Amino acid sequence: MPAKAGPRGCACPSSRDVAPEPIVETSALGRSFHGRPVLQDISLTLREGELLGIVGPDGAGKTTLLQMIAAILRPSTGECRVFGSDVVREAAQIQAQVGYMSQGFSLYDKLSVAENLAFAADIRDVPEESFEERKAELLAMAGLGRFENRQEGDLSGGMRKKLALCTILIHETRLLILDEPSLGVDPLSRRELWNILDRARAQGKSVIFATSYMDEADASDQVLLLREGRPLAMGTPAELRRRAQGKVYQLAAGTGFSERALEASDDVISFQKVAVREYRVQTLTAQSPVIVNADVSPTDPTMEDVFTVESTSNIDQGEGVSAVRPALTDDISVKSVGVTRRFGKFVAVDAVDMAIRKGEIIGLLGPNGAGKTTLIRILCGLLPPSEGHATLAGFDVARQSHEVRSRIGYVSQRFSLFTDMTPMENLRFFARAYGVPRSQMEERITSAARRAGLDALSERLVGSLSSALRQRLALACAIVHRPLVLFLDEPTSGVDPLSRFRFWRLISALAAEGVSIIVSTHYLEEATYCDRLGLMMDGRLIAMGTLEELRSRLGLEDARVEDVFLGFIARERALEKKS
Amino acid sequence: MKLRRMRAFVRKEMLEIARDPITIGVALLMPMVMLFLFGYALTFDVENAPLVIVDHDKSVASRALSHQFLNSGYFRLDSAPESEAVAEHAVMTGKVRAFLYIPRDFGRRLASGRSAPVEFVVDGTYASTAAVVSAYGRAILYAFPSGRLDMPIQPEVRVWYNPQLRSRDFIVPGLFAVILMAFPPLLTALAVAREKELGTIMQIYASPLTKVEFIIGKLLPYGLIAFVEMAVVFAAAFLWFDIPMHGSMLLLILLGVVYVLCTVAVGLLVSIIVRTQLAAMLVALIMTLMPSFLFSGLIYPVATMPPFFQAYSAKIPTMYFVNISRGIVMRGAGLDELWYEVVVLIAYTLIVLAAGILLFRKRIG
Repeated sequence: MPAKAGPRGCACPSSRDVAPEPIVETSALGRSFHGRPVLQDISLTLREGELLGIVGPDGAGKTTLLQMIAAILRPSTGECRVFGSDVVREAAQIQAQVGYMSQGFSLYDKLSVAENLAFAADIRDVPEESFEERKAELLAMAGLGRFENRQEGDLSGGMRKKLALCTILIHETRLLILDEPSLGVDPLSRRELWNILDRARAQGKSVIFATSYMDEADASDQVLLLREGRPLAMGTPAELRRRAQGKVYQLAAGTGFSERALEASDDVISFQKVAVREYRVQTLTAQSPVIVNADVSPTDPTMEDVFTVESTSNIDQGEGVSAVRPALTDDISVKSVGVTRRFGKFVAVDAVDMAIRKGEIIGLLGPNGAGKTTLIRILCGLLPPSEGHATLAGFDVARQSHEVRSRIGYVSQRFSLFTDMTPMENLRFFARAYGVPRSQMEERITSAARRAGLDALSERLVGSLSSALRQRLALACAIVHRPLVLFLDEPTSGVDPLSRFRFWRLISALAAEGVSIIVSTHYLEEATYCDRLGLMMDGRLIAMGTLEELRSRLGLEDARVEDVFLGFIARERALEKKS
Repeated sequence: MKLRRMRAFVRKEMLEIARDPITIGVALLMPMVMLFLFGYALTFDVENAPLVIVDHDKSVASRALSHQFLNSGYFRLDSAPESEAVAEHAVMTGKVRAFLYIPRDFGRRLASGRSAPVEFVVDGTYASTAAVVSAYGRAILYAFPSGRLDMPIQPEVRVWYNPQLRSRDFIVPGLFAVILMAFPPLLTALAVAREKELGTIMQIYASPLTKVEFIIGKLLPYGLIAFVEMAVVFAAAFLWFDIPMHGSMLLLILLGVVYVLCTVAVGLLVSIIVRTQLAAMLVALIMTLMPSFLFSGLIYPVATMPPFFQAYSAKIPTMYFVNISRGIVMRGAGLDELWYEVVVLIAYTLIVLAAGILLFRKRIG
């Protein structure tokens, strides 16, 4: 396609003259669904060969933006030109030339690897002479050569993603648009995926990709940070980091240090416990915060820090929650002895012993299928154990499940809220379902909303709320009947760092009131918020203790949570081999 | 329009269908279930209807009349009470379909050549059954040989095309139209909606594939499945139900192909409008199966409907194929007679396809 004259023309000579024609150019681009804006005011330029990362949590508007650039979704406001063509008037031209990879799995699962590739090539007019050669090259690069005849649905998630990338690389596109390419992909496949992309870029292709992993943005030429449909910041990774420079500190706790000191400081936006006596702190102003009994020194910001610091400019600060937790007593609220659950021959949970104290936060970590969810269901009284027994607040989970269930709260991964009801209607429903007396209803709901960090209840339907708000509402619904034990099943997936921080402060505050909390999570860094960690593998609880205990058991004093986790799994595998 | 792109699309559809045994199973089994269900159950014939006879005459003539009823094969004797009240009660409680009352001097009046009234009461709860039962009763009474009533006209009614008035011979050719309107569109509607639901349609949107290529690429493979469904249904009808064929099998198959392309196009249009498989299924059922039953002439002739419903029936392709199918199978009709129906079906198909191409958007929302 011949390059058209740019919209700005060549009348004004400038240093930009030599720059190549922009591949993508948007100005004040926005999109509304049913009158509600989901994306507004996006102005960006992508030049030949550049890599642009769109970074933001779930619901930030990343997919909407990419679909508009791929000319398969019409903008409501603003303008977008791709290869010089307008996405509304010349949509067909753009659709034929871009390589768009949608979120999730977009290939035909009944077709084999080779058939999917052949289909993609045929509908995109790839010359038949060059197809075989390109196919062999791509399959070799993706490590899929051996699986050419396997059906797509039988491949692992990582392989399916790599294949999807191959199907859009099979034609000579100049622009790749990738929607969360590494979502749900294991670390190794993720690396291979990026290797394929690097090669494509070496051939001069331009790439736009969306991600909720902040660290993936670092390799980009440009990064656009999105939050709730608005641009937070845009620039090179170095530029963005510079904006947060001086607002990120490392804190070494001395004797007598309390987290309360951090909470009390108006300047501190959020903080994370990195190691036993070490914190990472983000501040509002570029001034070193003064914290008693602690040694504060500036440190280099990561993209996650940038996001947190930039977030404060366009969101309500909200009231901080104080979470000073009393020392744990020996009051046991949940106890399991030899709990085992079989499904036929399969052992989902294998002889788990654990005791959880009142007000304690327990993190359950483990790969998919390790038995975390089954264990939680047994402790909730939803599933009787095949062997062993467990008690919750003194009640047997198998025989007195009714008593057990009225004393627990549960927040699932997908927040089981009614999306076509308002927050208040949801709260009333859950309050009634848990048998909250009518006379106490209003008071309980107000208190649950406050404890979940919802200052004012929105009148909008839950379906239109941000994921961070929905998460807090789900928490409010789970505590409206004042449970003694709260189960959280991956409560923070897809939520931005600052909201995640705030969520954990709320959890700590609940624990401070004496609620025991059992949480399963994929974000290993969140393990630092827990009092003790339980590592699960193949249904067994292979290790349990504080992070420090687990580290010293492996002899890895300063190891990251991920390494501790992998260390125990490796040790367990080695033991299995021996026996 | 590029042949290569379309061929690739058709091939992809065929591979997907071939590797989904459940879909094939449903596609072939459901039409058979419907054919057998309605082929056996949807019959207006009345056999062995329970009858009460109150014979107060007890003469040779009255006994002969009773025998005429009971030997006809249409009635069986339920009871022969002495009192009319008991008989009436049996009709009222639904125990019997009809009641024959023969008064005391029936035999004498007949013998003397006077008119001899008898009473024949039919349970009218089920109007269509009642009509059949009363017609049978009347036929037997008129044909009663001894001392026939003085009738000015002696009608000699002959039924053409289906002399035994077997309802199956009439229902099954009609069912062809309804079955092929019910299942092929359903399958087709699900096919596109599934691509939307799973997100595989995204790679179609972001590709040079045109709307026409997409629609024809879906129409051909699902048309082929519909053709196989048609073949299976025809085979069952002519080999299992032994429906007599009075016309050209080739013509029936040829016009059947025109019809299934039309019904598949309707399914395609549905799937272009809706977004989910659930909606596709509901809309397809409401648009195809439900009106096909009532407004195609399968059960009630369109010609006797109020004008509004006649006009409505004319909007549904099923009616035209009911006419075509019954015409060929029962009357041996040819194209010279059925050309109007054929023209309408072809025009219908083209209009529906055009609407599909017009409404299909290669983008979200």
